Amino acid sequence: MSRSYTSTLMRLLVGFAVLLCISLSVQTSVQAASDKIHYTPDQIRDLGFEIAHELRCPMSVNQNLFDSGAPIASELKGQIFLMLEQGESKAAIIDFLVQRYGEKIRYQPSFSSATAVLWLGPILLLIGIVGFAAVFIREQRKPANTKANTYE
Amino acid sequence: MIPELGLIFLIISTVTAVLLSFIPLYASYSKNHYLFSYVKTLTALMTFTISASILCLLISFLVDDFSVAYVANHSNTQLATLYKVAAVWGSHEGSMLFWVVSIAIWGCMIVFSSRYEDQLYIGRMIAILAFVIAGFNLFMLFTSNPFARLLPNFPVEGRDLNPILQDIGLIFHPPMLFLGYVGLTVTFAAAIAALIGGKFTQQHASYLRPWVLMAWVFLTGGNAFGSWWAYNELGWGGWWFWDPVENASFIPWLVATALLHSVVLSQQRSSFKVTTLLLCLLAFSLSLLGTFLVRSGIVQSVHAFASDPTRGMSILFLLGVFVCGALTLFALKAGLIKSKSEFSLVSRDTVMLLGNIVLVVAAISVLLGTFYPLLFELLDLGTLSVGAPYFNSIFVPLTFVAVLLMGAAPLVKWQHESSNRLYPLAALFAASAVIGVLVALQTRDGFDPWVWIGATSASWIFLSLGYLVFSLRSQGAGFIAKKAAMLIAHFGVAISIIGATAVSNFETQELLRMGPGQGKVVAGYTFVYEATVDVESHSYTAIQANIRVTDSDNNDIGYITPQRQTFKTNAMEVSKAGIMRNLVRDLYVSSGQQLSDTEYLVRISHKPLACWIWIGGLMMMLGGFIAAMSGLYNLRRQQVAATKPLTTAQFAVKEPA
Repeated sequence: MSRSYTSTLMRLLVGFAVLLCISLSVQTSVQAASDKIHYTPDQIRDLGFEIAHELRCPMSVNQNLFDSGAPIASELKGQIFLMLEQGESKAAIIDFLVQRYGEKIRYQPSFSSATAVLWLGPILLLIGIVGFAAVFIREQRKPANTKANTYE
Repeated sequence: MIPELGLIFLIISTVTAVLLSFIPLYASYSKNHYLFSYVKTLTALMTFTISASILCLLISFLVDDFSVAYVANHSNTQLATLYKVAAVWGSHEGSMLFWVVSIAIWGCMIVFSSRYEDQLYIGRMIAILAFVIAGFNLFMLFTSNPFARLLPNFPVEGRDLNPILQDIGLIFHPPMLFLGYVGLTVTFAAAIAALIGGKFTQQHASYLRPWVLMAWVFLTGGNAFGSWWAYNELGWGGWWFWDPVENASFIPWLVATALLHSVVLSQQRSSFKVTTLLLCLLAFSLSLLGTFLVRSGIVQSVHAFASDPTRGMSILFLLGVFVCGALTLFALKAGLIKSKSEFSLVSRDTVMLLGNIVLVVAAISVLLGTFYPLLFELLDLGTLSVGAPYFNSIFVPLTFVAVLLMGAAPLVKWQHESSNRLYPLAALFAASAVIGVLVALQTRDGFDPWVWIGATSASWIFLSLGYLVFSLRSQGAGFIAKKAAMLIAHFGVAISIIGATAVSNFETQELLRMGPGQGKVVAGYTFVYEATVDVESHSYTAIQANIRVTDSDNNDIGYITPQRQTFKTNAMEVSKAGIMRNLVRDLYVSSGQQLSDTEYLVRISHKPLACWIWIGGLMMMLGGFIAAMSGLYNLRRQQVAATKPLTTAQFAVKEPA
């Protein structure tokens, strides 16, 4: 009995957080500090969804915050919208959440010496293979060079 | 009794497969024709016994024999017959058996077809296939026997087929993918056969081409069905999640795409033969690696169904044997395979080569991203996630390059193209870039480079292929019809790109709390939540939201009914999205957690051109299928021409375009 009571309470709280942040009732009575950004409601929604798409839900397996239905995901979405309403930038919000939940929450790993292979690998590979193919074909063509030139 | 029969059939087929993997090789080595004549008999025996074995498993499912552990774990008396059939390949043991049976049947069809004249080559190929079958059969017999019994205390009622699998989309998705992997196994065997023989002629390439195409068609279907299912069933609103398990099937698809273009080069131009062979080996290895990824459970995934670490080791062992063996053979013999490479820098050959390189690089990048978190943890560097933002930022530019090459290739001549004929191409590209800019300016915050990439890609394909058809019109409809397969498949790519770009960039969505009586306007459509009702089917109970939709002119266009299903057997919760679709947009509603007594978290999306993604996929499959069939038809015609040289001499001269 008490369990269902607490879970209902939880749902209400989560729902309240979500409602507070997503509802279109525009509450931008934030004291605008000089470095705070003033978003329109549409911008808040789009930016909030964008951030939620780029972060991983700490609870569900391999789902982003936006898709996840876990309570923690709703709470974090609420947090994102709250910070947006306070005029925080996207980078600041992501930094805040990375500090709280670790690097793993970021679906787009930041560039560092440890992730250099990840980010530079594909482009180096492309250059490498194209270069190799060019050299290889040139080598192969050498004996048949005269023939190829007279072909057309 | 029946399960024991099945096991005995499985054992017989294993023994036959072991025999079949040595006899043709020894016979061709010792030039023993008598011994070689056993190839057909052994192939038939192997195929018959292994098919009988899976039939026994099917019968066990149909008669609800719960003394068989596999049946007891994946079926019950309440399960619909269709799902009992699907349950045969619904989990690890059965899917392995299904895979092996498909390899045997595919191999048998090749051996008994009269299309293929080079019997020695076919014999070697079936030997390799039999070796793979023997490997997997032994793997099954020792670690995952589908016929293992639960005696004497067997349950009176079985468990259930994974509820997620109880959907029509998922009945087709796994076998399609397996058949794709089977096709890659066949091409792998063909490549090894060529390497053993030390030659890979244009004739061999023309054998290989339809097999590659069919493998590719199945892989395309497997990926497309999978994404269609995820879109409809998971209720997350996406159609591709870059999940490790999705990547596991997408990586072989990318390599198979490169392979099928490389085979064309080998067949028509007698060039890039070594590349073709290497791609065959690579595609098969990556499909095995994908299987390992899915079955071992080493990665976290939303849909790793049959994961078990001990199986992982066995698959890794098989992977090691096949890949090391194949690569060693490749290193020893690749030097014997001679290709012509007579083409200049500006030629269709170069364009296609570059395209294949880009595809392979894309595949390896996806592989890198999929395995990076794993390697990162193994090297004790901490944890990190690699997800959609990374994959999109790598994959989309690579796709753009591939698409540019794809549009250009048919317009550039083989071997050599004078550079002043490239001016029309440049003009076409300028036109598509302008279209791209116009589309990209339609986004909410001005110019969006991702939209530009998508729109430019799609219009580039349309313009360049349109120009191709236009410039070929003087050659007659017959000539254009020969290119039909390529045209359909490439237009399919453009259609998919349009769908993907539109959905990713022009979607309108809302996430809100809703209960009976509340409404919301999204993208001109009014959604009114009317009632919450309980729905019951034989396998689940569901809470269904009835949401009435009216369009901007206040016309009623119907109800959308998203559900939250709870399965009776294992209390698993699944959210099934409600979708109202037509050709220009999907209206997508999924209902999430309950927020109060009457209210739910509801997600409403307007997804423009969503179904184009899969229409494009179907077109690619159709194109591939036409190409495969015409390849088989040409083989038959060549064969007839060769056996009756006098009567069909004309055909033989006309041969391939």
